[in-house]
Amino acid sequence: MSTQATDALRSRIEDTSIRTVGLYAALYGVAALFLVPYAWMISLSLKPRSEMFSRVPHWIPSEPTLQWYQYVLSESLILQWTLNTLLIAGITTLVVLLFDSLIAFSLTRLDWPGRKFVLSVIIASFMVPAYVNIVPLYTLVSDLGLISSYAGVILPLTAGPLGVFLLVQFFRDFPDELEEAARLDGFSTFRIYSRLMLPMMKSPLTALALFTFVSSWNQFLWPLIVLQSEGSYTLPIGLVTLSSSQVFQPGLMMAATLIASLPLFVVFLLLQDYLINAIQIQGTKG
Amino acid sequence: MSVPTRLVRRLRAARENNTEIRNQETLEGILFSLPYLLVFSVFLLYPLLKGLYMSLHDWNAIYPSQSEFVFLENYVRMINDPMFWNALWNTVYFVVLTVPPLVMLGLALALGVNRQLKGRRFLRMVFFSPYVLTVAVVALIWIELYAPSYGVFNYYIMQIGIEPPNWLNSATFGMPAVALATIWWTLGFNFVILLSARQGIPERLYEAARLDGAYGWRAFRDITLPQMKPALVFVTVVQFIASFQIFGQVFIMTGGGPGNATDTLVMYLYKAAFNQHEFGYAAAVGYFLFVVLIAVSMVNYKLAGDSA
Repeated sequence: MSTQATDALRSRIEDTSIRTVGLYAALYGVAALFLVPYAWMISLSLKPRSEMFSRVPHWIPSEPTLQWYQYVLSESLILQWTLNTLLIAGITTLVVLLFDSLIAFSLTRLDWPGRKFVLSVIIASFMVPAYVNIVPLYTLVSDLGLISSYAGVILPLTAGPLGVFLLVQFFRDFPDELEEAARLDGFSTFRIYSRLMLPMMKSPLTALALFTFVSSWNQFLWPLIVLQSEGSYTLPIGLVTLSSSQVFQPGLMMAATLIASLPLFVVFLLLQDYLINAIQIQGTKG
Repeated sequence: MSVPTRLVRRLRAARENNTEIRNQETLEGILFSLPYLLVFSVFLLYPLLKGLYMSLHDWNAIYPSQSEFVFLENYVRMINDPMFWNALWNTVYFVVLTVPPLVMLGLALALGVNRQLKGRRFLRMVFFSPYVLTVAVVALIWIELYAPSYGVFNYYIMQIGIEPPNWLNSATFGMPAVALATIWWTLGFNFVILLSARQGIPERLYEAARLDGAYGWRAFRDITLPQMKPALVFVTVVQFIASFQIFGQVFIMTGGGPGNATDTLVMYLYKAAFNQHEFGYAAAVGYFLFVVLIAVSMVNYKLAGDSA
């Protein structure tokens, strides 16, 4: 190899390592900025009153205190709100899994007149943005007598087309041979759905479950409109009413937001890969 | 494979020629679809039609049967209301402030994390984590960051000798402040989708390009960008639709103020419906929103169609 070529190669390698260092610095720099809000939340939640409003930010409190946590847990309904949210998100997720898998099975594996039309109406309804329906939905839920009931919160959340759309993509690829073999063995249609199909569709069903759970846990406007008594609030609404009703205390609010974000953070840390997968399926299949 | 497939086809044909089986399959098909179709028609289709109906009436919230048909009056009133235009421009401003950074930063981070680096999993976790937070948590944390007297931002801004604004109480800086919090909150969604799109590009394309001497910028322009176009279009449109419907952050962080400086379309709709109880009018605003977002989806399909 000529010296010229070696030099060119060497400078390319040096170039690459400088770039790598730059890349590390940029990515970890952005990551550090991303962590600032978390750090400030934790810092404020542990600060004694005397340090709270200091002009110079003390990132690490000189005398960390848990008084704000004790206060939130004993003086607010935060645990009740957590349970309410868990209940609403849990039921929504179960209903969505059941209803969406049933109709996706029917649309892909059973032949009946009109199914193509039904599927295209469901897909077209993707274009209906969540907030457009808020007003007529409110009058409907109110006519049905479901205001301030969990059914009023949950039912509209189960009507979304995303899950049907997602599952149809997967159910379509299910091998015909397996289905016919099961029929020859005398399986009923319902057994083909419940014993053959569902167990084979674990990963799209998990993805849908996680996505539905997180998004219904985080709902804000709809529960705010439907739920009207403090004891029935979900976490997001409870937090906001807490911030406007209590005497303004940053430490208290940050302790409350930390407690409120813990459950989903635990879910996230345990099931990161599944959750990220659920989002990616949406991006590639949607 | 071919024998079972032929057998399957024969079995299929036999079943399709049997009227009794066909009737049963139709019945089962409808029964399986019924639960979802019920919630779908009652809680999605019906309100959509009712919304159109309501928007053409002076809606009586207490006695709906006494509502008066006013045809397009609500829409005319909307177009003549300066507060509507204010909310529309604020919404467009918010879209402009959030969509380009969310797509471009998401792309930059995805390309960075795609490299063979130490701690990729950690980085992915950090960038994605805010996405699982609820809007109330995000808004409340950022209120503390922006706090005028003890917030971190203002302290460091003052350190470099600039007099900082009272972010959330400022007509100029209120919307950018909300936008910054939103970028932190939702960047992870775009990042994750774009990362997966980048990982879907076959490495042999880059190897072939390298043989032709295409590195760095040229490889990015000739391979990465065109290969990622569908994902970029998807992310941009989803982001546009989400940003256009901004509500929670504004509701909690600024309440639309100061004055009406951060009022957005959904805020405007919410106030018309639930503060002033003008349901017909609010339904008209909702339909306006619907038409704008359908137009955006159409442009999306056109773009996606061109890239296919």
